[in-house]
Amino acid sequence: MIKSNSFTVEINGQTYSADAGETVYEVAQRNGVEIPTLCHDPRLDPAGACRVCLVEVEGQRRLQPGCAWKVDADMKIQTESDRISRHRQVLYSMYMSDHRTDEEGGLPEETGNVNQLRELCATIDPIPLEKVEAPRAARPGDDNPYIEFDPELCILCARCTRYCDEVEAVNAITLAERGSETTIATAGQRSLIDTSCELCGGCIDTCPTGALIEKKAPKLMPLETKTTRTTCNFCGVGCQMDLHTHNNRLVKITSPAPGETLNDGNLCVKGRFAYDFVHHEDRLTEPLIRREDGQLHPATWDEAIKVASEGMNRVKAKYGSDALGFVSSSRCTIEENYLMQKLSRAAFGTNNIHQCAAT
Amino acid sequence: MFGAGAMTNSIPEIRDTDLMFVIGSNTTEAHPIIAMEMKRARQAGARLIVADPRKIWMAEQADLHLQLRPGTDVWLLSAMAHVIINENLHDQAFIDANTEGFEAVKERVQQYSPDEAEKITGVPAEDIRTAARMYATTRKAGIYYTLGITEHTHGTDNVYCLANLVLMTGHLGVRSAGMNPLRGQNNVQGANDAGATPMYYPGYQPVTDDEVRKKFEAAWNVPLSPDDGLNLNVMMKCLAKGTLKGMYVMGEDIVISEPNVSQVELGLNECEFLICQEIFHNETTRFADVVFPASCFAEKDGVFANSDRRVQRVRKAVDPPGNAKEDWKILIEFAQASGYDMPDYANPGEIFDEMASLTPKVAGISHQRLEERIEGLQWPCTDSEHPGTPTLHVDGPLIGKAQFQAVDYRPSAELPDDDFPLVLSTGRTLYHYNSATQTRRDPGPSIKQRQNFIEINRKNAKMLGIEHGETVRIISRRGAIEAEAWITPRVRFGCIWMPMHFAESRANLLTNDAGDSVTGTGEYKVCAVKIEKIKPTSPVSIASAVDQLAPVLNKPM
Amino acid sequence: MLTHEAQRQRERILELLEHEGGVTEESVRRVHKETGVPEADIWGTGMFYTLINKPGRRVRICDGLTCQMAGADQLSADLEAKGLPCERVSCLAQCDRAPATLDEDLELVTYHGKETGVTPDDPGLPMNLGGPVDESYSSFARAKELGAEAVIEILKESGLQGRGGAGFPAHFKWSSVLAQAEAERYVICNADEGEPGTFKDREILLRQPTKMLEGLAIAAQAIGAKDIYIYIRGEFTNERRSLEKAIEIAKEKIAPIKIHVALGHGAYICGEETALIEALEGKRGMPRLKPPYPTEKGFRNKPTLMHNVETACCIPAIVDRGGEWFKKLGKTEAGSKLYCISGHVNRPGVYELPLGASLDELVDAAGGYEGNPQAFSPGGASSGFLPMTYRDLPLDYKNLADAGSMLGSAGVVVLNDSVDMAEAVKWQLIFFERESCGQCAPCRIGTRYLRRQVDQYVQLGDTAPLTYAEDVAWEMEEGSICGLGMVAAKPLESAQKHFPDAFKVR
Repeated sequence: MIKSNSFTVEINGQTYSADAGETVYEVAQRNGVEIPTLCHDPRLDPAGACRVCLVEVEGQRRLQPGCAWKVDADMKIQTESDRISRHRQVLYSMYMSDHRTDEEGGLPEETGNVNQLRELCATIDPIPLEKVEAPRAARPGDDNPYIEFDPELCILCARCTRYCDEVEAVNAITLAERGSETTIATAGQRSLIDTSCELCGGCIDTCPTGALIEKKAPKLMPLETKTTRTTCNFCGVGCQMDLHTHNNRLVKITSPAPGETLNDGNLCVKGRFAYDFVHHEDRLTEPLIRREDGQLHPATWDEAIKVASEGMNRVKAKYGSDALGFVSSSRCTIEENYLMQKLSRAAFGTNNIHQCAAT
Repeated sequence: MFGAGAMTNSIPEIRDTDLMFVIGSNTTEAHPIIAMEMKRARQAGARLIVADPRKIWMAEQADLHLQLRPGTDVWLLSAMAHVIINENLHDQAFIDANTEGFEAVKERVQQYSPDEAEKITGVPAEDIRTAARMYATTRKAGIYYTLGITEHTHGTDNVYCLANLVLMTGHLGVRSAGMNPLRGQNNVQGANDAGATPMYYPGYQPVTDDEVRKKFEAAWNVPLSPDDGLNLNVMMKCLAKGTLKGMYVMGEDIVISEPNVSQVELGLNECEFLICQEIFHNETTRFADVVFPASCFAEKDGVFANSDRRVQRVRKAVDPPGNAKEDWKILIEFAQASGYDMPDYANPGEIFDEMASLTPKVAGISHQRLEERIEGLQWPCTDSEHPGTPTLHVDGPLIGKAQFQAVDYRPSAELPDDDFPLVLSTGRTLYHYNSATQTRRDPGPSIKQRQNFIEINRKNAKMLGIEHGETVRIISRRGAIEAEAWITPRVRFGCIWMPMHFAESRANLLTNDAGDSVTGTGEYKVCAVKIEKIKPTSPVSIASAVDQLAPVLNKPM
Repeated sequence: MLTHEAQRQRERILELLEHEGGVTEESVRRVHKETGVPEADIWGTGMFYTLINKPGRRVRICDGLTCQMAGADQLSADLEAKGLPCERVSCLAQCDRAPATLDEDLELVTYHGKETGVTPDDPGLPMNLGGPVDESYSSFARAKELGAEAVIEILKESGLQGRGGAGFPAHFKWSSVLAQAEAERYVICNADEGEPGTFKDREILLRQPTKMLEGLAIAAQAIGAKDIYIYIRGEFTNERRSLEKAIEIAKEKIAPIKIHVALGHGAYICGEETALIEALEGKRGMPRLKPPYPTEKGFRNKPTLMHNVETACCIPAIVDRGGEWFKKLGKTEAGSKLYCISGHVNRPGVYELPLGASLDELVDAAGGYEGNPQAFSPGGASSGFLPMTYRDLPLDYKNLADAGSMLGSAGVVVLNDSVDMAEAVKWQLIFFERESCGQCAPCRIGTRYLRRQVDQYVQLGDTAPLTYAEDVAWEMEEGSICGLGMVAAKPLESAQKHFPDAFKVR
């Protein structure tokens, strides 16, 4: 029998259309039915490991993970019930007994990443379970400049290791050990620098609890920074990124959420981390003019503009327009390139305008 | 060909493709995020053919790696066309409906049999046949290429060969297929689109076209030159010859990025007036008469156009440092001071509007529209209602019929010989960017790749008595530099590879400035070099090394 | 992005790590060079398995329930005192020889003083451990003649339930594999016996491996599989020798069907069928989400029929003598069953009895109780504890499930009144904490939580630590991915229910 590809399912008594191959989570999310989850990332194969998204599926004795359970025609699903409420209450309480959240001993150090676990825990009346003190190993000797791992905050959802495998495909990190000792490790617990890691930082972005954070970013609460959506200035892919600024300084770069822009939540090492140049002390901050001593000296804008335009006009007067060359830049904006070619053509009368344009 | 040099298809389409033919692109390092789309397609079952002289990461993952000798792309691609045509795998209906010139190509590629191609390219004839069949018989098959194709004296021929393959198989106007040059820089597409090119006004409108010129003369209120200008490669040569006397260089370090830089440096010494507009001092500002301190991407508003013709916003997040200024403001002030009545644009949005009013391809794009469209707008986008164009040529070629181009193989300008027995190719790495003025100011890239290196095959290294990590001198007819030798199976016997990022050890002191006859692009991918040990070694091993190398030299490259 | 070739390379890594003597930075690098598998994946996978994650030579002493009752702690202390480094490990499937010990080369060392037993030769028994070995492969020939459908029909008639623990009717799996469109199929034999109290598969491997191989060959023939994989516990050194000898003969008899032996590397969870498949594929033994079931997408994502050693061992006799015959051998459910019995009985061992035999009947076969019995665990650690009031209950799948317990692998352990039930619970919880794979939170956190709370209770005699144990146990059962987490709280729950006095303030 050939099954139709489109059908309806029932979630909490409401009927929704769905397609074969979709998961309960996907149908619910599309229709605004909230199913909480920690280990789900739309870029990754479902792991069903955090167990947060368990729902009731009619005909199934056990609760099933919404992130992985495929819908079928006329399937009836409950995302809220006493059983699910108890499940969430006990599960989140167990997470709290295994992971640092802000429920005990005052606020933990703010990581600057949204801690989704903490948000979930705030939705329940937790059971005061004693700490389990799981012996998860850290990587104390990891001297990589960007990525920091705090096992106290890690919930082993494996989003980082799955991202490293399935999306970035460099396989630098892995789940290691087992049971309560399970941790995120590198081969031989070496520094990420000495592994196949390409420092893309995607693991930080996908981490739902702030167990992975950016080392060099100041630890600021998310609300303390302003974000500006822009386009990356390195290669020609055109990744969208959010610049986080604080007191007129760029303090962190993150990717828009998966699915929003063409980079689908991803950035590379250059885009995410190589921004120190922006505020570097070597930046040119004053116009410079070469004086009679043959050296470049600071000058005012007025003088620099005047000397420069006189210089170019002198050459034009002496040798003609086509003795001038204008080199524009693929690093600058379209508007600036437009102005540069207009300058060359309209102001100086030559088509000698180009840029490093091999591709 | 078929319209402008840009990706015919979109980056998000890659994940749905069934076959990727990646040639002359080290995608994982040069375009990591596009590589992620490719990895995703691969995981979903797409097949992968990689043509590259190096065994790059993608090649290791490929169904088929065509490890051709540098500079023999025309042979490889013509032989693939040979197979496709002779095995009747071409799409005659598409060819008849949409193209011209097929017969000439059909005839020409008869000279390029896979068996002959094997001798020239070093790629087994059977692999060439397999690749041709896989490509021709898969509907959603995309070609992805970059500088490995274009940075040759016959770069344009390489591109023609690829276009011929696309046209003869009808892989055009199909989602997840097409011909896709991956752009190396954030706005190289946009710079071209905006007319920063000697032959075109914005939107690829020829400067030699009277109608077009009249339009721009009217808009800009000034008579304009009817002659093609000089491309960058020719400009550099004119500088050395003494016919180019004044330059305004914005945001490019021509001394590090142009080939045969010692000639460029000589030329710059002769230049009577040089303006540099930069964010850092670089090799070129050493020659400048005036330096304008400019702004980086985080300090200004505007738009970039990426590889898939996508116009996206750049937004100001922080102020430029000290007295540095946004580049567009500097250009306005300079133009006005120079005697041209450049308008006082209040913001880059107004500049874009002027360009859009003169450029049909982007007429429908504006800063206001981009506020709504967080995924950007892809040109052609001809009016304010137009949704943009993710896939080009869905309804056939943009103008008239697409042209096949019959191409003959021409060897690279400089081949190895007894004096310079090795072929040097240059390129990018993941961790650095161009002249690395930005990336070397960050700890990660600096730790991963602190200094310049060459990749060399174990056999060549052994013949030269070189150990892994040893500093060696690399010498071409144009210059010499020092770098660490990394012994790796990634490169072919007889070939070495070097990144272009290191100012103190500039690869472009070695490279050949022979340019492509159409684009002027320098031959960064092939030049002849030799390697000398700096650390002393026994004379015996050098002598025997020369002996052992001799047979390779006789092979066609 | 695993190509076919990369997948095959990945399947080799555990064996290569074993040859390297275990996981070290250097061994991982060498295995990476040889296979191309990323170093981190090799490291992470290797570190999952206790036989290779800590290189070095040492004696392994079981700390399972029976061995603890038999003084494993004392033995360990004595050996350490003699300068022998010791590691305490999970059940070694030698409960009849408690305290079970393996030397540095994984050879069994005997410290026990008890006589052990096995049911003597009886041609009327399907498995007949004490009987002669029949290497004729005549049942296999007969099955071939009958054809797949007829064999499955016989199997259906026999009522044979999977002997691995779940008790699922065996023929369902055969039919399900046969119904798949994919032609590449596999038979896997689960010989990763490790449930505390269980050592029946061991006896089959030692005494009647041919019956098991013949059963597997019949299955492979019926479902159209060309390859049989036997995943055998890495600690089963003697058993492996015995199996390999039997395979030498089987090879010719069942050609062109091929038999491959894969060694376990120390992980109880790999007895779970999808975890076992992960291990075979060179990955961490973390159970997969189901569906899809192995019969749809199993080993190498192909339809896979997996049976326990004992299930396979029943098949030749069923084919020979018919389904009806087998069914009637049972008392309350179909067939005969291998019961393992250890702990406080006089002659621990493996006895083939009608399915549905009671504890008293089983202990009769095992020479009677030792001391005054207070409790028994009927089917491994996962089955919890029952009081002696259940001594007449038929030990079968249904009756035990109704009693809130399970037959599981029929690893029966008797505890006499010298044992502190809270202590016994603790031993079982140590096992589950150590063997939890760590993939899902309810099990990873819950096993550790319960063990720590019971630890505290045993130390302090204060019941406060057990206040929320019930909630956690509930969530472990509701929320865990696989059976391990679902049952890991059973020892505590059942002991609290049946032996409330053991959990009062002390």
